[in-house]
Amino acid sequence: MKRLRIERWGSQLHPQSTFSSRPRCICPSLQSRVLQPHNRRAQSTAPQIPAEATEFSDVLTQTSPEEPKMIPLETLPSPHPHVALRSAKLSALRSRLSLPPRLPLQSLARTLVHESADSDPNFNNTSLSILGSNILGYYTTEHLIANYPRLPTSVLFAAQYAYVGPKALTTIAHEWGIESAAEPGGEVDPGLLQFKRLRAGEWATPSQPSFRNKWNQSLTGKIVHGDEFGSYKSDLSERSRNRELPGVPLEDAASTFVRALVGATYLHCGPQTTKRFYANHFLSRHLDMSTLFDFRTPTRDLSRLCAREGFEAPIARLISETGRKSRHPVFVVGVFSGKDKLGEGAGSSLNEARVRAAAAALKSWYLYRPVEVTVPSSVEGVDPNSPEGAKWIPNHIDCGEVIV
Amino acid sequence: MASKRPIRSLISTANSAVRSTRQSQHSFTPSSSSACTFSTSTTTSAPEYDTEAAPRPRWQQTPARMVAPYRIRPLPAGPELKVNDDPRKLDEVYVRMLGQSGDKVLSEEAKWLAVTHKSFDHGRRGFNDRLAYLGRRIVSLQTSLALMSGPQTIKVDPKKEDQYGRKPFVHPALSGLQGLTHEAKHDVLNKTRLANLGRRYGLDQVMRWKPMKADNLQGSGADLVLTTTIYAIVGAISLERGGEVANRVVKDKILNPLGFTTSAS
Repeated sequence: MKRLRIERWGSQLHPQSTFSSRPRCICPSLQSRVLQPHNRRAQSTAPQIPAEATEFSDVLTQTSPEEPKMIPLETLPSPHPHVALRSAKLSALRSRLSLPPRLPLQSLARTLVHESADSDPNFNNTSLSILGSNILGYYTTEHLIANYPRLPTSVLFAAQYAYVGPKALTTIAHEWGIESAAEPGGEVDPGLLQFKRLRAGEWATPSQPSFRNKWNQSLTGKIVHGDEFGSYKSDLSERSRNRELPGVPLEDAASTFVRALVGATYLHCGPQTTKRFYANHFLSRHLDMSTLFDFRTPTRDLSRLCAREGFEAPIARLISETGRKSRHPVFVVGVFSGKDKLGEGAGSSLNEARVRAAAAALKSWYLYRPVEVTVPSSVEGVDPNSPEGAKWIPNHIDCGEVIV
Repeated sequence: MASKRPIRSLISTANSAVRSTRQSQHSFTPSSSSACTFSTSTTTSAPEYDTEAAPRPRWQQTPARMVAPYRIRPLPAGPELKVNDDPRKLDEVYVRMLGQSGDKVLSEEAKWLAVTHKSFDHGRRGFNDRLAYLGRRIVSLQTSLALMSGPQTIKVDPKKEDQYGRKPFVHPALSGLQGLTHEAKHDVLNKTRLANLGRRYGLDQVMRWKPMKADNLQGSGADLVLTTTIYAIVGAISLERGGEVANRVVKDKILNPLGFTTSAS
C-alpha cells in the first residue's frame, strides 16, 4: 500500500491552506470555540494526521465566511495551555512527584516555561518562582536556625546554598527526570523544560555590582542587601531580562522551574502539602554541616569564646603521641577548660594537633542541636490555646558567633 | 647576651608563665546565663568573690574577661553615640511597635538582642544577625503573599488575548500572580522605606550600634541598621512565639503601615 503523504491529506481537508505539513495554530477569532481536546470526528481515523489538523476540520465546517488565519505553532513562544492536558510527560511528572490532582496540568506546564522562552508573565514561571523561592528560603532557614541555633552567619549562608541553592535545585530537577527542549517554541512537548539556551562562549564576564564597594561589604550587610545565600550577584535571569545576555544556562532554568513548582504547589494544594513535599524532597537530602566550617584562627576564637561565656581559659594538653622523631609523628592534643575537655585533634605536628583540637571544640559549640524542636511554621494557622498550639516549644536564641 | 635557647620554646615558656598567673587570679564560676553544654564538673568559686552581686544579664555588660584592665589606644576623634541602656525606653518602643503588651512578647534577652547590631561593643554582647536573616525570609514571603492577594493587584482578564491570540490559563488559586514581580518586591522592601518605618516606631532611639561617625548617622549606615533591627524583631518573635504571631506582626505592623491592606488576612 502506498504510504499516504501528510501534505496531501492536509490539502484535502483544508482547501485554502498552503501546501505545507507544519502544525498550525488556529486564528484568534475561532480559538475559543475550537480547542476542545476530545472532540474527534470520524474522519480523524487516519493516524498520520496531526491532532491540530483534526481540529481544523472541525473549524472549517463551522467556520464563518472569513478565512481562518493559520499561525504556525513554531511562532508561539510556548505551547498553548490546552496542550498540557494531552501531554503524557506532564501527567507522568505529576504522578512521579506524588502531587495531588488539585494541581492542574496547565499550571505544571507553566512552571516549565522560563521567561527567556516566553516573556509574557501570564505564561511563564517568573511569578511562581518568586513565591516558591520565598517559600523554600523560609522553610530552610527556619529548619537551620531552629535545629542549629548557634550556627555562624557564613555557615548559615553555605548551608542554605547547599539545601536550596541553584546547584542543588538543578540536581533535584535532574533527579525528577526533567528534560529540556533544544529550543523553546509552541510545538515542543509541554513536559519539557523550555528556555533559551546560553551557548558556550556567549557569556564573557560576570556583571559587577556597581552599587557596592568591595571594602564596604560586610557579612551583616549581606543579610539585608544580598540574596538568601549572601551574594550580591544578580542571577542571570535578570541579566537576560535586561537583554544583556542572549540566553540563560540550564542551572538558572532548572532552579527557576523547581521554585515555580513549589510555588504552584503552595497555591493549589496549600501549605500543609507543600511542607510535606519540601520535607520529602529537600530536607531528606543529607548535609554534613561540619564540612561547611572554615576557621582561620580557631585557637584565638576558642579563647575569646571561653572568655565570653565565662569558662576557664582553654589550655591545650598533649594526650598521647607516637613517632616524635620519625618522619610521620602523630600527636593527639586535647583542649581543656579546667577539667573539661572541649575538643580533641590529631595532627602530624604539635601545632597542627592543637589547632585541630581547637577547631573541633568550636564545631562542637556551633553545631549544638536541641533535642526537641518546633519550627515556627509548624504553628502557622494554629490557635495557641488548642492542643496543637500547646505543642509549641520556644526555640533557643543564641547571641551570635564569637568575634575576634 | 642572647640566649642560646630556640625562639619557639622561649615563646611557649612565656605564654605558659602568663597563663599560670592569669589562672590564679581569675578563676571564678561561669556566669549563669551561659548554656553549660561543656562543663559537667562543678567549678568551685574562689573565696574572694563570695560577696559579689548576682550575675548581671548578658545584655547589660561586656563579659568581664573580655575587657582589658585599661585602654591603651587613644580615644577616637569626634563625638560618641550615646546608646540606650534603659529597659523602660526599650519597652516603650516595643509597645509602640507591637501594640499593647508588646513588651511582653519577647523575653528580656531576646528583646535586647534583637536591637543590638554587630558593631555594638565589638559583638561581645551578641548581635541580631541570625534573627535578621530569619526575619527577612518571613517578611519576604509575607510580602509576596500580600502582593498577590491585596485589592490593589490587577487580575488577569480571562477574555484578553495576547499578541499570538492565546488566552492564559485562569484558576482561582493563581489569581493575583500578576502583581508578583521582582520590581514590585524591591519597591516594597526598599531599605529606605523600612528604615523610615523603623524611625516612626522610634527604633532608631533604642537600637544599639556604633556608627562610623556619630555626627553623620545617615552616612554611617543608619538605614541598614534600622532595617536589620526590624527584620531581627520579626525573627525573634517567630522563634519565641511561632510563625502565626510573627506573620500577624508582619502583616499588621510592617506591611500595613507601608500601604498594604490585605483583604481578609
